Amino acid sequence: MNTPAIIAIEQVSKTYESGGGPVVALQDINLTIAPGEFISLIGPSGCGKSTLMRLIGDLAQPSAGSIRVKGKTPEQARRDRDYGIVFQAPVLYDWRTVRKNVELPLEVMGLNDTPRSERANAMLSLVGLQDFGDAYPWQLSGGMQQRVSIARALAFSPSILLMDEPFGALDEMTRERMQAELLRIWGGAETDTTVIFVTHSIPEAVFLSDRVVVMSPRPGRIERVISIDLPRPRDVTTREAPRFFELVTEVRESLHEH
Amino acid sequence: MSDGAVLAQQASDSNRQHRLPWSRVRPWLFALLILVVLAVLWEIVKVVFQVSDQKLPHLWAIGSAFFDRPRGADGPLRAAILFESALATFGEALAGFVIGGLLGILLAMLFASSRLLERGLLPYVVGSQTVPILAIAPMVVVGLGQLNAPDWLAKAIVAAYLTFFPVTIGMLRGLRSASPDALDLMRSYAASPLQVFVKLRFPAALPNLFTSLKIAATASVIGALVAELPAGSQKGIGVEIIKAAQFYNANPPLLFATILMSALIGLCFYGAVALAEQLIVRERKAE
Repeated sequence: MNTPAIIAIEQVSKTYESGGGPVVALQDINLTIAPGEFISLIGPSGCGKSTLMRLIGDLAQPSAGSIRVKGKTPEQARRDRDYGIVFQAPVLYDWRTVRKNVELPLEVMGLNDTPRSERANAMLSLVGLQDFGDAYPWQLSGGMQQRVSIARALAFSPSILLMDEPFGALDEMTRERMQAELLRIWGGAETDTTVIFVTHSIPEAVFLSDRVVVMSPRPGRIERVISIDLPRPRDVTTREAPRFFELVTEVRESLHEH
Repeated sequence: MSDGAVLAQQASDSNRQHRLPWSRVRPWLFALLILVVLAVLWEIVKVVFQVSDQKLPHLWAIGSAFFDRPRGADGPLRAAILFESALATFGEALAGFVIGGLLGILLAMLFASSRLLERGLLPYVVGSQTVPILAIAPMVVVGLGQLNAPDWLAKAIVAAYLTFFPVTIGMLRGLRSASPDALDLMRSYAASPLQVFVKLRFPAALPNLFTSLKIAATASVIGALVAELPAGSQKGIGVEIIKAAQFYNANPPLLFATILMSALIGLCFYGAVALAEQLIVRERKAE
């Protein structure tokens, strides 16, 4: 790749101390990600895909190797608020209304009342929840809650969006709708947002990504990186294209190679 | 169900609740029913086991005790005297509740901020509660009396002694209840420790805090009441209980009336805290 990397991961390893001795969660990870890329990390549980995401986001520290984000350490990038994070659970604060939840990062960053609520309203419109700003999280369905979580993560226009199995708890139909929704939001964002998307669903990874990073467990390492050459914008017809199935098969086979 | 339908359904559910007062009245009627059943049981026990009026007065005798005029025909009703005593006790309990509550919250914040402090101090906090309050109360009352402290303060401190413990434990649990994901989220915003406390840990702790405050409310009444028992107290429902117990043979229903009145203070206090809880954490989903 000729574009300058936004994220450069070199020889990264992560070892956990556990009761039964050290556990190698990640070993010798090398990965370079370009600005605006949509990258999926896929693999069976225990392959360290979530750990890798957490290392990038400075939610955990590598045992060896180096990670550079926009030329900085992950910690500096976090302090510069380069990361928006979406977890599998929506993690909405249940004492705040939907709008107040979206405003949370903006409050922390010291934005004034008016621009804050304007921004929150714009984000809620982006995810199609403009009429639900005054509702409380528990009044929304799971899919709607996760959309609020995405709106919150994007509220401060971070350059990198980290998503840890964000649709893992949703039913299949909601899930496919949310995937299309995510691509629309990602495509419509004013800045070139880079997405790191952790998943264990093969069609999901193929449908969303520019590249799929296939990982294997014990110790966690990168098995293969598969470029997804499906044209964008992608929609329901993408899922029916022969090339889609070829790529799904390719990812599946590299997952089962060992 | 579509997204909108979920909300519409919930809206209509809550509307129905407003339209039909029955669902709001029913729990109260049920409580009243239990009261009637207890009263009937009381009288049945008296008849079946032939318990004398001296040991277990009739309910109507207890009821009429409220309408005595112990200070002569022109004097106030017993109910008024007891109510005044109850108010005094309530005031002491409230002061103790506030002191103990604040102390409990402070201790919990201290323990939440440092495992070392928690390990070092928590055993003493637990130990404090194993000392019988009946032994502590006279010491506090006499000690503060010698310092010429106001009468109510000693009682408030004994009440606080019983109050701070559940609040410390409940609040500590609450401050630790924020999920790791919620904390990671704050970390990703590069939030300061103060922001994490104000925007996440404290609001997340409120349901636990209120649970412990409800326990503390009734405990503070017991504390104030016990502190009134040592000689020298002027007013309070504890004083009335002691007097009624001393002259029990002359007027058995009076002791039961004073006990009833002291139970009423605890109930009212609990109700007030529960109401505050409703107002403050009402928007959260019922657990």
